[in-house]
Amino acid sequence: MNIIDKFGNMVSSATLKDSEKARRLLLAGYRLQEKRLCLFPDRALPSSGRYVAKIVMKNIIQALSRPENSAMVSIFVPGELLTAAGLTPYSVEAMSCFMAGTNCEQTFLRRTEEEGFPETMCSYHRVFLGAALTGFLPKPKCTIYTNLACDGNMMTFPYLKEKYHVPGFYIDVPYEKNQEAIEYVAEQLRELTIFLEDVTKRKISGEAVEKAVANSRKASEYYQQQLALRKDHDPVTSLTNELYAIFMCHLLAGSEEAVKYTELLLKDVKKAPKGGGLHVLWMHIMPFLQQPVKDVFNYNPKMHISACDFVADGFQKMHASDPYEALAEKMVNCIYNGSVDQRIQVAEKLAKETNADGGILFAHWGCKGTIGASSLIKSSLEEAGLPTMILDGDGCNPANTSDGQVSTRLQAFMEMLEKGKEDR
Amino acid sequence: MIYYVCKYTPIELFEGFGETCAVLEEMPENFEESDQIAHANLCGFGKSVIQAVLEGKADELVLVNCCDSMRRVYDIVKNTKKCKFIYMLDLPHDDNECEKEKFARAICGLKDAYEKYSGKTFDKTRFINSFATFPAKNNPYIGVMGVRVSGVLEEMIQENIQMNVKNLTCTGGRKLSVLPDEMKKLNENELFLAYADALLGQLPCFRMNQSSRRNELYLDPNLKGIIYHTIKFCDYYGFEYASIKKNMKVPLLKIETDFTSQSAGQLLTRIQAFSETIEGSEDMDAAKGIGEEAKEKMKSGVYYVAGIDSGSTSTDVVILDQDGKIKSTMIIPTGGGAMMSAEKSLEKAVEKAEINKDDIVRIVTTGYGRAYIDSGDDSITEITCHAKGAHYLNPNVRTVIDIGGQDIKAISIDENGAVTNFLMNDKCAAGTGRFLEMMARTLGMPLEEMSTKGLEWKENIVISSMCTVFAESEVVSLVAQNKNVADIIHGLNVSVASKVGALAARLGKKNPGEYMMTGGVAKNKGIIQALEEKLGAKLYICDEAQLCGALGAALFAYKKCKNEE
Repeated sequence: MNIIDKFGNMVSSATLKDSEKARRLLLAGYRLQEKRLCLFPDRALPSSGRYVAKIVMKNIIQALSRPENSAMVSIFVPGELLTAAGLTPYSVEAMSCFMAGTNCEQTFLRRTEEEGFPETMCSYHRVFLGAALTGFLPKPKCTIYTNLACDGNMMTFPYLKEKYHVPGFYIDVPYEKNQEAIEYVAEQLRELTIFLEDVTKRKISGEAVEKAVANSRKASEYYQQQLALRKDHDPVTSLTNELYAIFMCHLLAGSEEAVKYTELLLKDVKKAPKGGGLHVLWMHIMPFLQQPVKDVFNYNPKMHISACDFVADGFQKMHASDPYEALAEKMVNCIYNGSVDQRIQVAEKLAKETNADGGILFAHWGCKGTIGASSLIKSSLEEAGLPTMILDGDGCNPANTSDGQVSTRLQAFMEMLEKGKEDR
Repeated sequence: MIYYVCKYTPIELFEGFGETCAVLEEMPENFEESDQIAHANLCGFGKSVIQAVLEGKADELVLVNCCDSMRRVYDIVKNTKKCKFIYMLDLPHDDNECEKEKFARAICGLKDAYEKYSGKTFDKTRFINSFATFPAKNNPYIGVMGVRVSGVLEEMIQENIQMNVKNLTCTGGRKLSVLPDEMKKLNENELFLAYADALLGQLPCFRMNQSSRRNELYLDPNLKGIIYHTIKFCDYYGFEYASIKKNMKVPLLKIETDFTSQSAGQLLTRIQAFSETIEGSEDMDAAKGIGEEAKEKMKSGVYYVAGIDSGSTSTDVVILDQDGKIKSTMIIPTGGGAMMSAEKSLEKAVEKAEINKDDIVRIVTTGYGRAYIDSGDDSITEITCHAKGAHYLNPNVRTVIDIGGQDIKAISIDENGAVTNFLMNDKCAAGTGRFLEMMARTLGMPLEEMSTKGLEWKENIVISSMCTVFAESEVVSLVAQNKNVADIIHGLNVSVASKVGALAARLGKKNPGEYMMTGGVAKNKGIIQALEEKLGAKLYICDEAQLCGALGAALFAYKKCKNEE
């Protein structure tokens, strides 16, 4: 049992008695883990992977230890504006992943079950709600949320806004993707800046916003460059790293750290030779804790995650010159917004660009948007020549998934792809 | 015919085109065709829309981007190419000025699209004249809330509730406050802005950002009770239910379906029990009173009453004498139909009591099979009967936990043994007797052995899955890892206790009295211990626990006779 597991177990039993103490315990565990990442980084990973693990850990520690300077956000809220405002953002997904990573998610899930929240609801949201209900999650400075990209946001955030009595800001993203929609969102983002000034009682300069958006553009540039190289370069990958990348392009978007991460990533990719394994396009979030998934994907020379649509979308190119319109553009054009067509197009493009042998769509339990789209995505990608598998599972609640089943499906899919590659 | 699914749909717009609209909310028997093209974990309503389109029942369809499922239903339906006209209307989440203007433009977009498709022209006068007016009514009523209710379910509620029933679900109670005369003076832009304003001004559905206005629904003084419907995989209303239930001042019943007519049919017991809770278990029906013949018998001073509980596993009978004392009891396995088992069990009970069957003046039936037994004078749900029986056995009991073969019930009772609240599991077998039977089979041991074996545990193993299928594979892999069987069973017991404990916790922890456990699983020592730990309280269990339902039914029969005397 490693440090984190031990602390997680202690946290679970402490949570119900004294949530403050439980949080202190967990923080102590996270700080130890942070030190470990600095002193004994995972040598198997390229430098970008080691860097991102440290940064994300630091972000979670900051959010939990200095809640008065943190914002509780839904993941698609532009991180650039929070960077400019000097607040530490933390999202449902990031926090729940860390809770699950320390084995204390069941305590929180049970709390939501007692409260009567639907068990069919997304587990990330349930773990987060449970952590809030037990008093484990501290009161943030404010909460900012958007309907993008799931209904969970429209339940969790209004509920917690009331519960914590904190100021809240909602960004409405229209279904249609056009200039009118971009302007409509940009206007709300300008209001968000004023909201953030009110909340922090600090002026947010136009330069700070410009700088953050410029950083995002730079990060996007690096990311796109490495993507173009993935065809012939296979750096060591792990699903955990892909998950961290999601946090870099959303929560930490606009930060210097996000720029440095993508810059390191580009260097790592350039250095990496072409491997002999399969290229897989990963779609949606990652069940990074599940053993059979780890067995197949982490540090495996026979399997390379050549691209992930969630990450590529987060590092998409922003065209508008106005910083607010650029951020609005990223939200409106998000693959999770609107009809499923664009999501399919992006997946096809990524598969082609990185020479993918197959695609895996993770149908996370409770994610109605992805579950509903799954059969269309599969059939369209297969029509375009990309063998695709829908992997049903749960990213942070082991109760909704079965290791044996996931292992069989993944192995069989790999065997199928290998056969296909041989035949070619 | 234009079909729509949401109360924010501008149906008056189509009236302006001389077109009629109907809400599409038919509960299908199954999702056979939908399941072939869409993921099974889509919400049942979404699947019913896909099913209807595939069956050719709707070829002109206007959807609203209400929720994640509806957005995907649009993608899937559009892809089938079975609709002549399919449109997705973008509905904002707020109702301030910017959103109103945006929604007005969206409505105009729909108008243009329909004009282009149909070649018809929009008539302003016809549009304005189509707005319905609503007379104000001030009668007490039962509100049906939550997510849409239709077909068999709606009929079942209407039939079993005597009070007025108002449909206040997400598609019910569509009311637009407009002034048609004022509207006539407006130009087209202003007109659509006013229309958008009226649509967004409705009582918000829970998906809207400012849903606190929904309190109006719950605070109406004429509201006497709420039947709250949720659909599996529709999280919005399940979430609302969880967040409001503690603040409700009126009786509240939650029902859940997967939006098939078959799942709705299983709710009869709950709806009847709810009606018994708010409208009293005394039946108003004169035909169910005490007959002349029975009255004659009662005059002799020696007579008996009986309760029959027709359950899924056993059929139980309790006979009481004229002083309300237990004269005889009988438990036989249910086999060969409810009717036959009931007669057989009653005969055996009569034999055991050594009385004359004709001296039984009243029989009340309860349990799943209650409706199929002819010999009863009245039938009352097992929920009301369990409460009554539990109170008779131990008047200090305030919470009854009943784990039977196929369901789990948690019932709150007051100091008189009347039901104040109750909860049941859904049709999933998690945590039920059937679940334990399956696990015993997986471990290859009899249920009796399993019930004590877990008490000898040493290592704390966590079984995370409650789904019978997943838990089975978890158990199999634990066995493969050479884990101790006692530890595995203990893990299972804790997981069942956690499921049942959560159900009891949802009833409210404030219940001051004792807990009683009834049903077949009350014989399982391992479960009892785990459940007592989870609840932090002792469970009252007695030998008659299994007869609780039949006893309650007999007590109702007895009470009716006493009232007559």
